[in-house]
Amino acid sequence: MLHNTLLIARREYVERIRARSFIVMTILIPTLLGGVLWAVGLATGKSRSDVTIDIVTPAVGMADSQFGADLQSELATHKHPKITANVVAQPADGNRDKLDAQLKRGDIDGYLWVTPPSAGHTHIGFEWVPKSKSYLSAQNELADAIRIVLVRESLTHSGLGASDIAFVMSPIDLDSTQADKKDSADAAQASAYGLFFIMYFVILFYGMNVARSIIEEKTSRIFEVLLATIKPEEMMAGKVLGVGAVGLTQVAIWLLAATALSVFGLAQLGSDLSFKLPVSNMIYFVVFFLLGYILYSGLAAALGAMSNSEQELQQMNIFLMLPLIACNGVVFQVTSDPDGLLAKVFSFIPLCAPLIMYVRIAVHQPPWWEIAISIVGLVATILAVLWFAARIYRVGILMYGKKPNLPELLRWLKYS
Amino acid sequence: MSIVELHNVRKAYDTKIAVHNLSFKIEPGSMFGLLGPNGSGKTSSIRMMIGITVPDSGTVTLFGQPFDRKNLIRVGYLPEERGLYKKMNVLDQLVFLGQLHGLDAATARKRSLIWCERMEITEAIPKKTEELSKGMQQKIQFIASLLHEPDLIIMDEPFSGLDPVNATLLQDTLVDLRKEGKAVLFSTHRMDQVEKLCDEIALIASGHLLLSGSMREVKSTYPRNRVQIAFEGSDAFLKHPAIAEGKNYNGLAEIKLAPSSDLGHAAQSILAEALSMARISRFEVMEPTLEEIFIERVRSHESAANFASRNGGNHAA
Repeated sequence: MLHNTLLIARREYVERIRARSFIVMTILIPTLLGGVLWAVGLATGKSRSDVTIDIVTPAVGMADSQFGADLQSELATHKHPKITANVVAQPADGNRDKLDAQLKRGDIDGYLWVTPPSAGHTHIGFEWVPKSKSYLSAQNELADAIRIVLVRESLTHSGLGASDIAFVMSPIDLDSTQADKKDSADAAQASAYGLFFIMYFVILFYGMNVARSIIEEKTSRIFEVLLATIKPEEMMAGKVLGVGAVGLTQVAIWLLAATALSVFGLAQLGSDLSFKLPVSNMIYFVVFFLLGYILYSGLAAALGAMSNSEQELQQMNIFLMLPLIACNGVVFQVTSDPDGLLAKVFSFIPLCAPLIMYVRIAVHQPPWWEIAISIVGLVATILAVLWFAARIYRVGILMYGKKPNLPELLRWLKYS
Repeated sequence: MSIVELHNVRKAYDTKIAVHNLSFKIEPGSMFGLLGPNGSGKTSSIRMMIGITVPDSGTVTLFGQPFDRKNLIRVGYLPEERGLYKKMNVLDQLVFLGQLHGLDAATARKRSLIWCERMEITEAIPKKTEELSKGMQQKIQFIASLLHEPDLIIMDEPFSGLDPVNATLLQDTLVDLRKEGKAVLFSTHRMDQVEKLCDEIALIASGHLLLSGSMREVKSTYPRNRVQIAFEGSDAFLKHPAIAEGKNYNGLAEIKLAPSSDLGHAAQSILAEALSMARISRFEVMEPTLEEIFIERVRSHESAANFASRNGGNHAA
């Protein structure tokens, strides 16, 4: 009866959603991930906010006093990050105390000390003094801008007209469609990794939860009461559905939060880190996630019914973990060569298919019939696993004390 | 129409036969005692009645129809191994279990509150199950088995672990339910309770039915050869020649009479001798207690089984 299965599933769902551990997990995991991203962003440069610098040019001795102003206007065209520059005259005595004090106070993020060419040096000297070493991207932009300004100046000196210079210096128009493709391939790879790990983690975690909750009912003997009205199959189905719905809720919360953040907040991080996911990809994710979860939770239910305690379950967990660990081992190879032999083989092994086939689809759409074979194989395996698990479950749940050996398990399969 | 009827039911597990050709009936409005030592097949029999397991052969009839799962919502079951969701709130738990037995949420909630009041555990309602005492948890489990007003109530050791006050409360509740026409099946090895409560009994040992019938019938097949005398003074009367076995428990003599054609006369002559040496406050001639019958039947069954197994090889040859 569907009614009973839904009752069991609903109880499982409500109790789990209310549990403190669910709330903690839902908040903690993205916070940790976000923290790591933030730390990485911090290390690679203070790229998210505007940078203010002083360009310190000598009052005299500079061949072209225009340099400061030219650099300032050139910097204004650069956007990553946005650098606001002020041109200041060098103190006559070359004393930098005032600048250093400004730096310390945080009025400026750094200053560029320009030394004119002198007897010993034919080139202009540049000294970049940032507030901290983390201004890597600002430093790159600055170097670019200086080069452009210097080239432009020397072209002017060699007598080229302003329009010719503008023409020579105009940005090269790369084939932008190709560039876009490259961009989105990177983004696809990144989001494929992200979702691979979410799927990996949720399947493992919630699969284990199914097994653990079966053991809990076994040790608390609650199932004696339940089995007096409902069938073991209904009980198992309810459990798998209920726990799975919790997992899906959690993933949904994470994805929604990630989308919202990337729209409102993370936009400042620059487009590299924003969260992009095409709708078709999302649908594949949900399909493969559900199939993978049902497969693993069915196996976990059988393992749970066979065990008498958490400790016994721990020993059997390796059967669940091994294929997942294997997927983890090959995922990088698969993303770099999504149509290679390794990727193809793993995407047809049912226990690995949900993860690996999904990654292949996310990185580079494989032919439709490969996806179809993978899904058909997966569904067939799921049906077999559920049949097997239901039989193990209905006998195992009533057995205490002794761990069954293989011949006993085979005999369980024959019981009606 | 019988509420439950087992007919030649047999169940074997891997290594042993749990139930051998067991047959008995339970009638509406009766209290039925299913008795037997530990591991005798009581729980196996009950599990087959409620479809947790299926008999290898024989038939189970519930409410006059061949076994059908949809009738299970008319059964209330209190298992020997109690089980509740530890982390769940008491009321949620009762409502959930009520819904599993076909009640809607509102009815289940209403009845749960009424029952909690009747069982005097209203203070437990908002608590989590794991916060309750063992006795309280047992009452919750008891309520859970009755919420859906079952016609057949199966109680596996219902009073174990309860203090006398609460045991009496449960006992009186069951007596009331029987008056309403429900059938109650007790599975226990506490003979004193069975003797007080049950109208019908079935005694099983190692899966075999040893005796069954109404309490009166069972007892009347035994001679009234037990005498109890409460006395103050000398217990020398216990040496009377008509006594096969006599014990003095602090002024209560329990006497088993030697086989005789006139047990009544033998009892009177013992009383006369006791009166000559002690003050008698009570004197009673009776059948053996159910406990004595139980022990005697189980022992004789075991020795017969041992004998049979020892001689089994010879028969085969």
